[in-house]
Amino acid sequence: MAASVFTFAQTNQKLSVSGVVRDVTGQPVVGASIVLPGSTIGTISGIDGDYALRNVPADATIAVECLGFKSVQIAVGGRAKIDIVLEEDAMFIEETVVVGYGQMKKSDLTGSVSSVKTEILTDTPSSSIDGLLQGRVAGVQVINNSQDPGAGSTIRIRGNSSLNGSNSPLVVIDGFPYGEAGALNSINPQDIISMEVLKDASASAIYGSRGANGVILITTRKAKGNVTRVSVRQQTTISSFSTPLDIWRDPVLMAMISNEGRKNAGLTEQYVGAVNTNGIYYPSINELQTTWDTNTKWDEIVFRACPVSDNTTIQIQSSNDRTMFTASANYYLDNGIYIKDSYYKYGGNFAVEHKIIDNLKLKASANITGSKRHDNGYLSYNRNPIFPVYNEDGSYWQYSVQDYYHPLAITELQKNDKTGMNLISYFGADYQILPCLNVTAQLNYKHGETVQDVYYPKKYTQKGVFNDGYGGIQNWKDNNIVVEAYATFDKTFAEKHHVTAMAGYSYENYSSRSSGLAAVGFVNESLGNENLAAGDPEKYQISNSAYKTELVSGMLRLNYSYANRYLVTFTARTDGSSKFGANNKWAFFPSGAFSWKMNEESWLKDVKWLDLLKLRASYGISGNQGISAYQTLSRYGQHKYYTDGQWVTAIGPGYQSGYTGQGGIYAVWSGIPNTGLKWETTSQVDFGIDASFFDNRLNVTIDAYYKHTSDLLRQRNIAVSSGYDKMWVNDGEIANKGFEVTLDGVFFRNRDWNVGGTFVFSLNRNKVLSLGNSVEAGLNTDTRTGMQFEFYGNSLEQYRSYTNILAVGQPMYVFYGYVVNGVVQSLAEGLDAGLSGDDAQPGEFKYVNIYNADRLDTINEDDRCIIGDPNPDFTTSLALNASWKGLDFSIFFNGVFGNDVLNTKRFSMPSNQPMRWTVDNPTNDYPRLNDNRQTKLSNWWIEDGSFVRIQTATLGYTWHYTKKDYGRKLRFYVSGDNLYTFTKFSGYDPEVSATGIYSGGYPRLRKFTFGVDFTF
Amino acid sequence: MIFAGLVLVCGCSLEEYPYGFYSENNFYKTVADAESGTNYIYDAINYIEYSRAIVFLGDMNTDAMTPKGDATAATKELDGWKMKTFNTNTTLYNFYKYSFITINRANSVIENVAKMNIDENLKNRYVGEAYFMRAYSYFCLARNFGCVPIHIKPTRTIEDATMPPAENLDVMWNQIFSDLDKAVDLMPIYDKPQTGRTDRVAALALQAKAYLYLATAKESGAPRYSEMSYDVEDYYQKALAAAAKVVDDPAQTTYHFDDDLMAIYDVEKSDGPEHIFIMSMDRTGASEGQYSKISKMYIPYISGGTFYLKQGNTDEMIKTHDGWSEYQTAIDFWNGFETGDRRHDWLFCDKVYDASGTLVASYPGNKLSYPFCRKFIDPDFVGDKTSTKPMLIRYSDIALVYAEAAGPTTRAYELVNYIRSRAGLGAVTAGLSKTAFRDAIRQERIYELAFEGDYCYDLRRLNKLHTDISEAKGQGWTAEDMVFYPIPSLETDLNPYYK
Repeated sequence: MAASVFTFAQTNQKLSVSGVVRDVTGQPVVGASIVLPGSTIGTISGIDGDYALRNVPADATIAVECLGFKSVQIAVGGRAKIDIVLEEDAMFIEETVVVGYGQMKKSDLTGSVSSVKTEILTDTPSSSIDGLLQGRVAGVQVINNSQDPGAGSTIRIRGNSSLNGSNSPLVVIDGFPYGEAGALNSINPQDIISMEVLKDASASAIYGSRGANGVILITTRKAKGNVTRVSVRQQTTISSFSTPLDIWRDPVLMAMISNEGRKNAGLTEQYVGAVNTNGIYYPSINELQTTWDTNTKWDEIVFRACPVSDNTTIQIQSSNDRTMFTASANYYLDNGIYIKDSYYKYGGNFAVEHKIIDNLKLKASANITGSKRHDNGYLSYNRNPIFPVYNEDGSYWQYSVQDYYHPLAITELQKNDKTGMNLISYFGADYQILPCLNVTAQLNYKHGETVQDVYYPKKYTQKGVFNDGYGGIQNWKDNNIVVEAYATFDKTFAEKHHVTAMAGYSYENYSSRSSGLAAVGFVNESLGNENLAAGDPEKYQISNSAYKTELVSGMLRLNYSYANRYLVTFTARTDGSSKFGANNKWAFFPSGAFSWKMNEESWLKDVKWLDLLKLRASYGISGNQGISAYQTLSRYGQHKYYTDGQWVTAIGPGYQSGYTGQGGIYAVWSGIPNTGLKWETTSQVDFGIDASFFDNRLNVTIDAYYKHTSDLLRQRNIAVSSGYDKMWVNDGEIANKGFEVTLDGVFFRNRDWNVGGTFVFSLNRNKVLSLGNSVEAGLNTDTRTGMQFEFYGNSLEQYRSYTNILAVGQPMYVFYGYVVNGVVQSLAEGLDAGLSGDDAQPGEFKYVNIYNADRLDTINEDDRCIIGDPNPDFTTSLALNASWKGLDFSIFFNGVFGNDVLNTKRFSMPSNQPMRWTVDNPTNDYPRLNDNRQTKLSNWWIEDGSFVRIQTATLGYTWHYTKKDYGRKLRFYVSGDNLYTFTKFSGYDPEVSATGIYSGGYPRLRKFTFGVDFTF
Repeated sequence: MIFAGLVLVCGCSLEEYPYGFYSENNFYKTVADAESGTNYIYDAINYIEYSRAIVFLGDMNTDAMTPKGDATAATKELDGWKMKTFNTNTTLYNFYKYSFITINRANSVIENVAKMNIDENLKNRYVGEAYFMRAYSYFCLARNFGCVPIHIKPTRTIEDATMPPAENLDVMWNQIFSDLDKAVDLMPIYDKPQTGRTDRVAALALQAKAYLYLATAKESGAPRYSEMSYDVEDYYQKALAAAAKVVDDPAQTTYHFDDDLMAIYDVEKSDGPEHIFIMSMDRTGASEGQYSKISKMYIPYISGGTFYLKQGNTDEMIKTHDGWSEYQTAIDFWNGFETGDRRHDWLFCDKVYDASGTLVASYPGNKLSYPFCRKFIDPDFVGDKTSTKPMLIRYSDIALVYAEAAGPTTRAYELVNYIRSRAGLGAVTAGLSKTAFRDAIRQERIYELAFEGDYCYDLRRLNKLHTDISEAKGQGWTAEDMVFYPIPSLETDLNPYYK
């Protein structure tokens, strides 16, 4: 201030200065700050680049700054009109990205890191940001197969690489290792400014034993610049089905189909105008055609006509030279398509940074979220339309006491609520000890808790009927403390040798506890689960558990670059985990990478159209902890035993760790410790090219990788006479290899127009190399090919068999079953095909006898083979955006190609049953109706699940209502989600879980969002 | 903060302390622990993998019982003596597995409770029960599989998991006898039978059964047994001596004949005087094994769910659920009973009724596919849950062991004739030769112990597998082929001693 007073004293002549700020191409620069240093005088250029300053001393110097441009100082020299031209700042184009324990210039990256600016995503409301990543990042597969309120997603980076451990990437929020991706509901997507996806080992190995599935780094929004801003974002969303419901609208046709299916099976027909064994009267077909008047539209009862959801965020950001703070509040309501089915959450986020002295900054933040899920989903919308809703006395109509599916009875009387609370807090310090040496220390504390309330009434629900009313409360909470500190050294020697080094440690302590209370046999149900003591005192059920793990780590990263041309990175992390066996407590994960910026070479430096050409190569090792705590300890079991007229607790060696056998009726016994149990190890090699052309208007990133995972965690069999079945070991190998391309371009840009797009292509090939020692693993052998395999997942009652297998030499989760070649047209044809009994009858599936070496001309288990692969051949997406003045439009196409889907509903829906084989319709496409058929899993049920979806489209208008401050704006937009799907799949929607099993559900929702953003 | 963190890091041991579950480190501290560990031994055989296999290995593989048409492959193989796949047969595997789970749990009690500083009487009882259960499991294994790995220590590590099989049958059976001697020494005799627990009488009873098994096996020339070193007559005497301590010891008043034939099979009277060793399940249990569905195995499927049976020759009606038709009575076997045998008329049902006493179904020809065994019926069933319990050693079994070992003595006649008269039959012909008398006793066993999991073992020890089982005979199996089931492949593949 002293200087300015002095300046003022020297001259009294003051001017009003105005002009336009432009870039070198003549485009106006909006939002540049024009200030008189050392004074309070200053402004920001408006929408046309114009500015005006008053009371400027004639001999003063003004400073002009704008993000992305080089700053300039201009002497006023008595001029009243000064037009300013800003040069683009090359440093800005090289935006910085966050990497583990630090950040670096994007062009200095040696590993494969994708960066996502989340602003483009948040026009679509979502409870969790990671679901919105779908299609946006090459190599990242996102499956949103559940549309239930608050539901999460399945996230995979570069394929699946674990059989029993997690395949989800690690999510790190502002340096805090939060947990697995897929359900980040505790962070409001609008509080997030950017996400970085670490894909190769060079990038992810710094996270050591948790890096093998890739890492997603999330950076939350922080205030910038000497301004205070308040913004309000409001989104209102309406949902509707994007495809029609597949339900019986014509009871007559339904009844005919039902009768035909029972008749063909040799069963008594149901719709004959008689009371059946359950005591329900089923009208005859004639009656249905004439006098019957009950035709309940259950879908209109079960579904909301137009669910409206809501998402509101208010943010305040303010900063000055020393202190910045951000505060935001959010309310998010997701009303499901089912009546009363809902999820809501509310959250607050507060962050503050303060410079105590110039080189010491303190930071703190707290994020708190409360949520409640009222689960009333999966009500029966395809209930028989001849059933009435109510009895004459107004009570709910049931077809028998075992009718547990009355949607209104469940809605009214059953309770299933989950209430949650989540706190993430952060305290940190950043100390710039020397210009080249910085130390960062931080402490994170996370606390989460949930309470689940359930009540199943004595009538109408299965659990309630069996237990004479069932009420329960499940409590769960967890705490996670992470303390870490690291020092970063950054210096350039002799102008050409740039060295960055980071070294640090981390300590993590996680614990969780849970307890459950349940009571049955309620006398009076009016309190539901509010008074569990009112249940039968002899049947109270209680349970509790706890879980605790510790992780201690040291990490190191060295970057060296020579003349900004050759870059080398080396990282190392050592992890000590309480989960590992006593003989394997410590793990070491190194990685190295090299990259070459060819464009910096003299022979390319003058090529005007080339801005960046960089080759990258990396190799490294990372891990997957996959084990849960206590798996390396010896463990006793406990069971209730009835002796001498009472129940007693029996305890001893061996505990029941699972179920096996058809229908899971046999127990699996474990309890022998494996003191050598350790992490799964993934080594990955990656080659990449980054290139930018034409003033960065076209950016290309290409990566090819090979990922090899060994020491897979799996259970081996133990010799039966030991008294145990299974034990966890590290044995087995999986490989993933793939290829990723991202093209990002600006097609056209001028003063009013900006048209651009992003194209993403990912291809991953997964292969199981080994399932471990085949004897110890107890693998099955395919008799025909000798292929070794094991079944995966659960057996499906519909086929009385497992559907997916893990097979050596094949991708994970391939389908395994019989081959069908049309439909048997005559008994002779059926017998000739090797079928017998009912299976050989006309109208049945004609299974193919593919294995004849057994000298049996019959169809048996040896005639099975791989009949499909649920993994996509490739995925691709295209995002296009255009803006003209204040109008903006974007559209996003997402495509998945070449994945097979098991359509379990291919012959049980009103849309496909009428296409049945009959004597008059001897088709080869569908079998006859037969309620008694024991259907085998075959390729007949497999469909191509490829699709291209118009995932989102947004049209918006932004109004800068004041020319003084470009940051103040008002934006209106409308956004559509899931607008149209191009697919040959015959069910509702082909986007199903990674194992490719479609089980009906309800159609995908199309959502329209109306949004307003107001910043002032 | 940096340094506080470093202190934490350096002080962190990374050791795990289990929460919420027991292990060797925190168990076997008190009497209650010892009792709980002992109950855990018995708990192992309650799992359906074992409890159902008792009948699959004792009756289903004989001509007395047939499976339903769509029975599992394992059941059909056992019934049809499809020996080629026996090494992967899941029922055989499960029976083998649960025998060894029982043995491991017994080993844990034997090793740990013996070291405890608790009341000597209780300690002896628990350790004695563990020896008995280990002997019982090896007895069942030896009869079915011959020589199996001998585990006498609990399995603690993967290195302990594999043990060599017994060198020969002498070694195998000496293990059983040695455990039984210890059990007899250590165990008390209870004042009244305890359902689901055993006492000295059970050990004596098993001694008698084991000695008789070997005596008759060698005598009948069953393969392998003839190579064993004992003397047949000596073992007959040992069997008799042990059985006498059950049936002729005036100090032993806990177990005796039940006068009422139907009371033996009354689900509420599992602590009756006949039940020397009976499993323990109760319909109030939470999972199968805690409760039993054994009833459903015997009862046929009759659409309608609940129906009624007549109790003995009275008009009292007993309610039951319907079943799964798994353990079907072979009609020839049913017809083989003597006329007037109550065990045929009362314990097999060919008529079922509704609540009002109206006939619902009958055999033959009226919706009842076979006359079913009703020894395991729970009129107070809750859905599928019942308290029906497999009977493992009955007093009548030991009385017949005594008679068979003793030969035609007065006491032997008295015992067998008691059993026959209870069944409504006349006395065994007086003055029979030893051989003829023993044959008569063996014949009596078939009907007295029908469908209780015993018949096939009598065929085994009498070397009649290859002659008296039509499915086996039809395939031309020899005595040598059939003498033992093969060891399950999950043992032979994983245990290097079998390589």
